[in-house]
Amino acid sequence: MKFSKYLKDNLYEILIFLISYGIILLIFFAFKIDKAIIIAISFILLIYFLLITLIPYFRKRKFYTDLLNNIASLDKGYLVLETLTKPEFYEGELLYQALYEINKSMNELVKTLENHLQDFKDYIEMWIHEVKIPLATLRLINNNHKKLFDKKTKKQLKRIEDYVEQVLYYARSENAEKDYLIKEIELSKVIKNVSLKNMDDLLENKISLIIEKIDIKVLTDAKWLEFILGQIINNSIKYKRNIKNSYIKISINDEKDRTTLIIEDNGIGIKESDLKQVFDKSFTGENGRNGNYSTGMGLYIAKNMCEKLGHKIDILSKEKEYTKVLIIFAKNKYYDVLK
Amino acid sequence: MEKILIIEDDLAIAKELKELLQNNGYLAVILTNFNNALEEILKENPNLILLDIKIPYISGELLLQELRKKSDTPVIMVTSDNQETKEALAISYGADDYITKPYNPNILLLRIGAVLRRTKVGFGNNHLLIYKDLKFDVARGIIKKDNKTLTLTKNEIIIFTYLLNHQNKIVSRDELMTTLWDNDEYINENALTVNISRLRSKLKEIGYENAINTRKKIGYILL
Repeated sequence: MKFSKYLKDNLYEILIFLISYGIILLIFFAFKIDKAIIIAISFILLIYFLLITLIPYFRKRKFYTDLLNNIASLDKGYLVLETLTKPEFYEGELLYQALYEINKSMNELVKTLENHLQDFKDYIEMWIHEVKIPLATLRLINNNHKKLFDKKTKKQLKRIEDYVEQVLYYARSENAEKDYLIKEIELSKVIKNVSLKNMDDLLENKISLIIEKIDIKVLTDAKWLEFILGQIINNSIKYKRNIKNSYIKISINDEKDRTTLIIEDNGIGIKESDLKQVFDKSFTGENGRNGNYSTGMGLYIAKNMCEKLGHKIDILSKEKEYTKVLIIFAKNKYYDVLK
Repeated sequence: MEKILIIEDDLAIAKELKELLQNNGYLAVILTNFNNALEEILKENPNLILLDIKIPYISGELLLQELRKKSDTPVIMVTSDNQETKEALAISYGADDYITKPYNPNILLLRIGAVLRRTKVGFGNNHLLIYKDLKFDVARGIIKKDNKTLTLTKNEIIIFTYLLNHQNKIVSRDELMTTLWDNDEYINENALTVNISRLRSKLKEIGYENAINTRKKIGYILL
């Protein structure tokens, strides 16, 4: 609270006081009142003026300065009321009460929206679980009646399943709630599951899967990591080059404080100008435009999930040569101690 | 024949599951009375239970807990809920495996086989398989006939074991491929063909030239 601005705000009071004082002086002069009395009364008036200006200033200053400073220093400014003591002057009380009411109604609105979001998320999750049942049934029918169904239906079925998974993990990763469980996981087991899931596509596209010896445990959520790796491998399959020896190579680089999982392919690669944006939401880039089905969501969700799990994800590529995705798992020393 | 009890409230999927299991040499029974699920299970006395989490009257998890108080019958949870927390919970209640829908039927069969083998009394009686007058030591990959021996490579062991376990039934290339990949052998279609023909010529060496027949567009059969 600036004093000069406060004075300016009290301009009318000051003017009225000065005019009144001027009139009083004129009256005094007209009645030829003794100079000593004029000085004494002027002095009293001056003290009176200073007191009525300064006392309210100091009473208000603490509240307003705290209010402004606390808003600036809090990262969640709307919590400012919690940090203030209730002011003892009327305007302050009004402001305090108004802020309280505003806060309350905003909280109610946020709560309603949160509930809506949660309901929506619950419904999506439920719907996904429901839709998985006919999908599983179709898979079984497909397997039991091979004469009625060919590989083409199986392939389309897999595509539907992949899209359904994507929605599920989008809903889960966008939500602030904790939907994952981090524990020590055999990395090779996750890789095996992803490989088996994509076996048909890899075989059909004649892509060799080269998996180096991976005998290591990492701290992660197995299901989430499976989905993340699935997105990466899906991309490798989608963006393969028309060459004879297409491959996807999965290896690890184990260091003292971290483990890096490397998924490398010799596909069409990513244009340098697109590389920085591949993790952006809905980004499809040059490759996505060239006739491949691309939603631009896969890597975005993957990155989001990596961040939640505390992994780092990075991508390196050279056009028409290779794409390398790195997932970096930190080693938790605290966890080692607990063991 | 091993009896598998299907506990699943969606009739369409239960029927297809039954067909799949029957096609693969199991006796499959669908639980119809969910009201007294626990008693029904104990009455059926199956070798393995496929248990869905979302079933009427009682949740699959609760049923599993109740069952574990009375029986050690192996249970594979089959559910559309793929949360790691749910899996950890189910395992802690005593489930032997946890598979999420939609699953690859071949993988489901592999997991069922694995759980049955793991929980069978006298684990290890699978290590010596017999084919006619051949003795096949699975662990060492050696086939013996009188005093002749044959050594198989890892892929050949996997293929021959699978064919032997499904003797006289047509085995699709898809099934063989899934089994190989499940054993960390990520080979391609050509390599499978090569491995089969190598296995054939090895069997020919000890007098079983036409043991493995090819059924065009369907798969192979070990006679």
